[in-house]
Amino acid sequence: MSVERPTLGQVTHIVGDRLQGRISNHHLALLGVSFVGFFLILPIIFLIPESLNLGSSTPFESYRRAMDSIYVDAFVRSFIFGLATTAVTLSLAYLLAYYLTFAARRVRIVMTLIIVPLWIAYVIRYFGILLFLSPAGPFANLTGIDPGLLFTSPAVILGLANVYLPFAVLPLYNSLNAINKELIDASRVLGADKWWTIIKIIFPLSLPGLVAAGLIVFILAAGSFLGPAVLGGPQQAMIANVIAKAFLENFNIQFASALAIIYTILLVGFLIAFNTVFDIQEVLGDI
Amino acid sequence: MSTKTRLEGVKFQGVVTIVFAFLLLPVIIVVLTSFTTQTFPTIPREDFSFEWYVRLLQDEKLLRALTVSFIVATGSAILSAIIGTIAAIGFVRSTFPYKQQISTVMLLPMIISPVITGIALVRYFGKIQLPSGYPALIMGHTILSLPYVFLLVRSELLTFDEDLERASRVLGADPATTFRHVTGPIVSPAILAGGFIAFVVSFGEFTATQFLISPDTSTVPVVIYTMLRTGLTPTINALSVILITVMVVVALSSRRLAS
Repeated sequence: MSVERPTLGQVTHIVGDRLQGRISNHHLALLGVSFVGFFLILPIIFLIPESLNLGSSTPFESYRRAMDSIYVDAFVRSFIFGLATTAVTLSLAYLLAYYLTFAARRVRIVMTLIIVPLWIAYVIRYFGILLFLSPAGPFANLTGIDPGLLFTSPAVILGLANVYLPFAVLPLYNSLNAINKELIDASRVLGADKWWTIIKIIFPLSLPGLVAAGLIVFILAAGSFLGPAVLGGPQQAMIANVIAKAFLENFNIQFASALAIIYTILLVGFLIAFNTVFDIQEVLGDI
Repeated sequence: MSTKTRLEGVKFQGVVTIVFAFLLLPVIIVVLTSFTTQTFPTIPREDFSFEWYVRLLQDEKLLRALTVSFIVATGSAILSAIIGTIAAIGFVRSTFPYKQQISTVMLLPMIISPVITGIALVRYFGKIQLPSGYPALIMGHTILSLPYVFLLVRSELLTFDEDLERASRVLGADPATTFRHVTGPIVSPAILAGGFIAFVVSFGEFTATQFLISPDTSTVPVVIYTMLRTGLTPTINALSVILITVMVVVALSSRRLAS
């Protein structure tokens, strides 16, 4: 008697049926979240014991040192540069998003032009800005003008704004594009001029996009390493640079971990505070 | 009269052009100055040359970095596409309490500063004994590119018509056949697009990568950064242009796939 062997097709059907019963979509979501849990959240939590000098009489030595003025300055600088970058980026991004929504004729091509830089490595884009600002660079050569900005705070802020601009255009464009065009026509028909329509109709309706863009740009800019590393001098070191230096140059893992933990706590605190004013879920839904 | 013509003006066009120049010129200048004949990146006028590309092809260290970048980007893109898709299906097709809040966890790799991700991962990989070099780089880049795949596949799945699956089941196909002939073919362009984007993210990542490399697995962005610190030569430009070309081509294909 021969036992009939199932064909490959039958096997996959059997497996499929079993899987259908046992693995639900909940499990799939759980798998994704666990992956981030195991390879990001847990590693960051593990930095807490690394940051403490356990077994010594001063376990919080690194945290005390982090209160020294140079490190506090780096935190404050990250915050201020983050805010300044957000302000510059949002104004430029608003112009582009407005153009894209109301004036551009070939939206898809213009959109691609805005997004292309997003794909190009940050290090290359900062290199391009460095070439622009460099006193011996091609721009200075060609025009005879030395902007005198390299290794200053404005250079870092301009660089960060340049790099994060596309991130801000997308949520702004989405919220501008969602405005019912008849509202704008109605406003014009009823006698409002262009500026009054922008102030009274378009701007208020685009606020969700503005908030989303602002949040993402601020978070990215405040945590940037490359911007200040390529375009700034020692006076422009932001928190990411200080952490990287402690780890890579001074091999002080304990101190780098302490700074990383403080920064993460500040970021989470900021997000919670932000969440009380705006709904973060809704904001992130825009991205 | 449409709103398009009502809200534009000549001045506005001018300002928009300047903003576009601000956005695009840094990349353009990198490309242009790669064709110089001088030893410093300058814009060539008549003396156009490929000299720096030729030198690049003779430099084993740089070719090695390109190979490493390709291997790491391919490996992490595959992993990221699989995990990101699984997570996206899970979140789109199920309901559970605090689903929205929990899905934010998937975006954390984008929100946390890559410096922190970098040091946290390098210490963690040491603990779990994941070797530095390729394994560490691929795992690190997988986590960093995951949010991009997740967002892209999720947005594609949201437009998926689940009636098609139901129809297939009603007509007698079992779940496996339904997946093979209905769900798979419809969703796979999105998965591929997600994988391409993950490739691009990995190919350009520097900040977290600098903590994860081993001496013989420097990636191209790390090499570019190191060269930037030691002095500007047009070799950096040539290398950048190769990177730009790969990234733009891959990303454009992704854009094509994802409707």
